[in-house]
Amino acid sequence: MAFLRHTLWLLWKDLLLERRRHESLLAMFFFGTLLLFIFQFALDVQPEKAADMAPGLLWLALVFCGTLGLMQLFQPERENHCLDALLLAPIDRAAIFLSKVLFNLMLMALLEIVVLPLFWVLFNLAAWDRLPWVFLYGLLGTVGFCVVGTLFSALTLTARGREILLPLLLLPLLIPVVLATIRGMEIILRAGDFSESLPWLHLLIGFDLIFSTAGMLVFEWVIES
Amino acid sequence: MAKIEKKRGSGKILGALALVFILAGLYFALIEAPPDANQGDVQRIMYIHIPSILTAYLSFFIVFVGSCLYLWKRERRDDILARSAAEVGVLFTALTIVEGSIWGKPTWGVWWTWDARLTLTAILLMIFAGYMMLRSLIEDEDRAAVSAAVVGIIGFLDIPLIHMSVYWWRTLHQPPSILRPDKAPWENVHPAMLIALAINFAAFLLLYFYLLSLRIRVGETEERVKREMLGGIA
Amino acid sequence: MHLEVRRLSKSYGFAWALKEIDLELRSGDCVALLGPNGAGKTTLLKALCGLLRPTMGEICADGTKLRHGPARLQPAIGLLSPGDHLYDKLTAEENLRLFLALYNRQENRGEIGNALAAAGLSDWSGEYVASFSSGMKCRLSIAKWLLLDPKLLLVDEPYGVLDGSGVDLLETHLKNVCRSGGIVVTATHHVTRAVALCSRAIILRRGKVIFDEAKRTPWNNIYRAVEEFLPKGESWPS
Repeated sequence: MAFLRHTLWLLWKDLLLERRRHESLLAMFFFGTLLLFIFQFALDVQPEKAADMAPGLLWLALVFCGTLGLMQLFQPERENHCLDALLLAPIDRAAIFLSKVLFNLMLMALLEIVVLPLFWVLFNLAAWDRLPWVFLYGLLGTVGFCVVGTLFSALTLTARGREILLPLLLLPLLIPVVLATIRGMEIILRAGDFSESLPWLHLLIGFDLIFSTAGMLVFEWVIES
Repeated sequence: MAKIEKKRGSGKILGALALVFILAGLYFALIEAPPDANQGDVQRIMYIHIPSILTAYLSFFIVFVGSCLYLWKRERRDDILARSAAEVGVLFTALTIVEGSIWGKPTWGVWWTWDARLTLTAILLMIFAGYMMLRSLIEDEDRAAVSAAVVGIIGFLDIPLIHMSVYWWRTLHQPPSILRPDKAPWENVHPAMLIALAINFAAFLLLYFYLLSLRIRVGETEERVKREMLGGIA
Repeated sequence: MHLEVRRLSKSYGFAWALKEIDLELRSGDCVALLGPNGAGKTTLLKALCGLLRPTMGEICADGTKLRHGPARLQPAIGLLSPGDHLYDKLTAEENLRLFLALYNRQENRGEIGNALAAAGLSDWSGEYVASFSSGMKCRLSIAKWLLLDPKLLLVDEPYGVLDGSGVDLLETHLKNVCRSGGIVVTATHHVTRAVALCSRAIILRRGKVIFDEAKRTPWNNIYRAVEEFLPKGESWPS
C-alpha cells in the first residue's frame, strides 16, 4: 500500500506547512465570516426568509473561501521547484492529487465546522437537530469542490491571470454540486423530509465518485512539465 | 501541397452543399411549412434553433474526442481538431442563445429567463469560453494543449450532470411552463414542418463541418509555419 | 546500469534546446558535462531524469525505454540542483524524513543523523531550511542523495555555492557513487575541477554534442574544445 503511505506522508507535509505558514486557514476563516456579515447588510435577510436564503448564502461564502484556498494549494510546490522533487520521486502522481484533495478537504471541513453553527446563530435558524444533515450535504458538496478544484488549481499553475481563470473555469463545472447541495439543504431546512432530497444526494455522490476517479486518472498529465 | 489542394477542393464541395441546403432549408422553413397553431410565425425560428443547439453539443463531443486522442497519442492534429471544434462551437452556442432570445421576446415578453434550456446553453458557452481562455493564457504550447485537453474531457463528463441538476432545479417544485418551445416535434406535427426541420438540420451540420474544416486548415497551416520557423535541427 | 540516449531533441517554442543528442553511459562513468551558457546542459539533465518530455528521440535504461515520467525507473535517478527540491518551512531532518518515505526507504533515525553529520549540518537538523544559506542547502541536498543512494546521479552546477570542505564532500560522494557502479553526470562551468574529478567529458554547444571523450593523458583535445568558453586567465593543470 505504498500509494496510501505516500499520500499520507504528503498530507503530513502539507498540514505541517500550513501550521507554520498560516497561509490558508486563517484567511479563509476571516473572509468567510466577513462575507456572512456583508450578506446580512446587503440583503437585509428577514427572519421568515432566512431558511430559504440560508443555504445559497452559505454556499456562496464557502465557494469564495474555497477558491482562496485553491489559489494557495500548490504554493509550497512552487517554491524551490519542489514540484520537480515530487515528480522525480518514485510515487504514483495520483498520490499527489489525493493528498492535496484531502488537505483542501480538511481545511474546508474545519472552516465549515466553525462557520455552520455561526451561520445558524447569525441567521436565527431553528431546529438544531437538522444541523448534522445540513453538514452532511455540505461535506459531500465540499468533496466535489475539492476534487475538481484541486485538478484545476494544478492545471492553471503556470497560466497568467490565474486569479480570474481558475474561478472562470471551475464555477460552471461545479454547478451540479452547488445546485445539489443548496437544494438538498433547503429541503432539509424547510420540510425536514429527508427522502425528498434523495435525488440530490445521489447526484452529489455520483459527481464525487466520477470526478475523484477521473481526477486520479488524468492528474498524471496535468502535473508534468 | 497536393494534400492541401485536395482538402481545399473537398472543403469547397462541402461549402457548396451547405449553401444549397441552407437555401432549401430557408425555403421550407419560411414558405412551405405552415405557421404554428399556438405561436404563429415566431415559431419558425425553431427550425434553426434546434439544429444549432444540437450542433453546439456535437461540437463539444468533438472537443472531447480530440482531447482524448491528444492525451493518448500526443499528435498535433488532434489538438487542432479539439481547438477548432471549440471555436466553431462557441459560434454556434452564441447563435443559439441569440435565437432563443429572439424567440423569447415575443413569446414570453422578456429577452432572458432562467429556464432550463437557456441556462444550460449559457453554461455551455461559459465552458467553451473557459477552455479557450485557458489555451491563450498558458505560455508553453504543449502544456496549453494538455491542459485544454483535460478541461475538454472533464467538461464533457460534466455535461450530463449539469443537465440533470439544472432540469431538476427548474422542474422539481416549479410549475411546468405553459409554453414548451421544443416539445418533441414528431408528435402530431404537420409533415412539412418535419421536412423543414430535417433539411435545416442537415444544412446546419454541413455548415458546421464546412466551418470546422476551414478552421482545421488554418490550424494546420499555423502548425506548418511554426515548424518552419523552428527550422531543421541542423 | 546502461543508459542509451538516441536522437534526443527538445524544442521550446521557436528554438531547439537539444538537437539529436546521441549518448551512452555505463556503470562507473563519471561524466563532466561542459558547455557555455545556453548550451542545453540543464535541459539535458532534466531530460535524462524524466522531468522533461522530449520533442523527439528516446532514452533507454538497461534496454527498457524510459517512458516519460521517471516513476517507472525510480529510485534509480537523482538530480542535485543546489537550492532546489527542499521545503523551506520544514526542518532539515523533516525534509530528509519526507523524501526517505517517498523513496520507499525505511526510516532509520541514526541514518538521517549520520547523513547530516557527514554533510556538516548536525547542529542544524532542527532548523528550517529557509534559514539556511545556499551553501548549506546544497549540503543538505548532498545529504539527501547520500541517503537515497541513486544509481544515476545528475548534478547541476554545484561548485558555485560550496565552500572548500563542501566541494570535498561533494566530490568524495560522487566518486563513491561511481566506484559502487553508479553513473554521475556533473554539469558545470568549473572546467578544471570537473576535468580533475571526472573520467569522461561531454561538451555541449547550442544543443549539440561537439565533444565526447574518455580522459586520457595528455588530454590536448579538450583544451582546444573548451577554449572558447573558458574564462580569461583560468589556467590548466599541467
